[in-house]
Amino acid sequence: MNEAGLGDGDVVQRVLAGEVELFRVLVERYRHEFGRYAVSLVGDEDSAQDAIQEAFIRAFDSLGSCRDPQRFKAWFFRILTNQCHNARSRRRREVALDGVDAPARDRTDADVEQDELRRAIDAALDDLTPEQREAFVMKHVDGRSYEEIAELLHTGIDALKMRVYRARDALRRRLEDRT
Amino acid sequence: MRRTLAIGLAALLAAETLGAQGAPEIRARLIARGAPKSLADQVQKVVSAARRERLPTDPLADKALEGWAKRASPDRVLVAVRELHTRLGQARIAAAQAGLKPPPGGVVTAAAQALGRGMTAEDVRHLIQAAHGSRNAAAGLMVASSLAAQGFAHGVAAQAVEQTYQNGGTTSDVLELPSVTASLLARGLSRPDVGERILEGRPFRLDDSEVGSENGAVNRRALGRAADVPPGARGRSTSNPSTGRRTGP
Amino acid sequence: MSSRNEWSHETQAYFDGERAAAEPPPRERPGADRLLRGVTAYAASIHAPGAELDDRIMARVRERGRARAHPSMWRWLVAPQSVRVRPVVLALAASLVFLVWWRDRTAELPSAPQLAATPTVLVRFELLAPRASSVTLAGSFNEWGTEGMPLTPSATPGLWAVTVPLPVGEHEYLFLVDGAKWMADPSAQAQVDDGFGRTNSVIVVGPRGVVRS
Repeated sequence: MNEAGLGDGDVVQRVLAGEVELFRVLVERYRHEFGRYAVSLVGDEDSAQDAIQEAFIRAFDSLGSCRDPQRFKAWFFRILTNQCHNARSRRRREVALDGVDAPARDRTDADVEQDELRRAIDAALDDLTPEQREAFVMKHVDGRSYEEIAELLHTGIDALKMRVYRARDALRRRLEDRT
Repeated sequence: MRRTLAIGLAALLAAETLGAQGAPEIRARLIARGAPKSLADQVQKVVSAARRERLPTDPLADKALEGWAKRASPDRVLVAVRELHTRLGQARIAAAQAGLKPPPGGVVTAAAQALGRGMTAEDVRHLIQAAHGSRNAAAGLMVASSLAAQGFAHGVAAQAVEQTYQNGGTTSDVLELPSVTASLLARGLSRPDVGERILEGRPFRLDDSEVGSENGAVNRRALGRAADVPPGARGRSTSNPSTGRRTGP
Repeated sequence: MSSRNEWSHETQAYFDGERAAAEPPPRERPGADRLLRGVTAYAASIHAPGAELDDRIMARVRERGRARAHPSMWRWLVAPQSVRVRPVVLALAASLVFLVWWRDRTAELPSAPQLAATPTVLVRFELLAPRASSVTLAGSFNEWGTEGMPLTPSATPGLWAVTVPLPVGEHEYLFLVDGAKWMADPSAQAQVDDGFGRTNSVIVVGPRGVVRS
């Protein structure tokens, strides 16, 4: 059976009919698609994995209430985003995203600057509202178009752009504080 | 975090065994409690009819026992039992229309209770469809009818439950709704305020620290997690992280 | 927000990748490029979880699939969660305590809503009734039997108390004081018509316990 060819709507219907194992198709698909979004939104990999798990379990439990099985992606995305926001506020700040640096003598000035910038941005994400964070991560970590983001967030493109712009302004302040 | 509790398991198993043997007929139970034979016979007739119709019979027996325990007049007991019988039939139809074929007894019971508390057949159908699985449907109906009993309009009660499921809430979240709304009402919020809040669809997760909030003033974020609002948030553009719902641009 | 901290429109378009359309003003260009470098480095440091997460998720999903199919096999008990009854409840004229003993009914058509994996939760209630000589509890959980569920006096004078396991779900109940007087619970979540000219008190217990005001 070519599971890759199965649309979300078909999978949902069949899972609801009892083919529980088929849920894996959705798990693989959206763990892959939203995995980095979740890690960035939460701020550390372990907590993000917990959030992703929890989101899939909730989606499974409530699968019957997914209004339109064809729209599973956006519905699940909202569940996942909620879990990620909760997880972010729960995680401890000291857990770094990628804490291991190469030994000092192997690192160039450019490397050091990169690391600092990266940490600054990670920290700056805390300054954002949850909506700004969502939009920023989708734009700059996932590289999605505004149209795509608008579809997932159920929001207008203009409002969306405002959030991303405000997020960039917040980052500018952060970065300028460091110079 | 759950720790399995060993106690009560034996009692549980014993209770199951008792149930599995088939409860004694309601007629005998009423008579054993001193009820008049004529009442016991009449109630038994209703229960037997319900059984033939494949309706749940325990709620009918319970109602009769309740009425007799309270020493209501036999006429009154009979009226209550017959009304419940009718409601169970209506509930079964609504559940079947909502796609449950055959409708599990628990769902029919919960739906009948909902109909008795002002929910419409349409509410019942929507609630069943919003939940996934009969377990969730029974809980959803139970909670909606409980909210209606707290004085919320039936549409609001139904919508609160549906939205909680739609937002990815679990049955646990739904089951918390009545105690949370009762708590808010007791703290002085008006029903429209509470109704509005629960219709915004925020899942409820009350920590001890958030219940009974500061100085009796209503914390508008009490139902989310106040800590989730990041320090940089401006008042004009915020969202509740629990649902990601946005208010503002 | 001062305009010093806001990127210009051209720079925002630049960030959006519309480079053909806009060039950042010279004073903003270095900062803009710096931000872009940082964002790129940040994005590159984000690693997606691997496929082993799928296995863990599916293991849990399978459990739940089983629980849905066979609810009676998955009955479990949660650890007791005694709920703090807040002082304001005690100050009310009469709060309520009762003892529930759950009897599973598996008649030919189970009528108790099968909340799959129905746990019980311990709920502590207290009743202030200094002049009562006996208080019992009757309700939907014990077939309104008027003998089986007595409350006992607590250390506080006039206060009757008990901690009971309640199955998750809704329960209707009343108190019988001195074997004669039926009393509703004023601090209950709701009151409903009992069909016999009285009201019953209602409580819905969730798996995490009951939140009292």
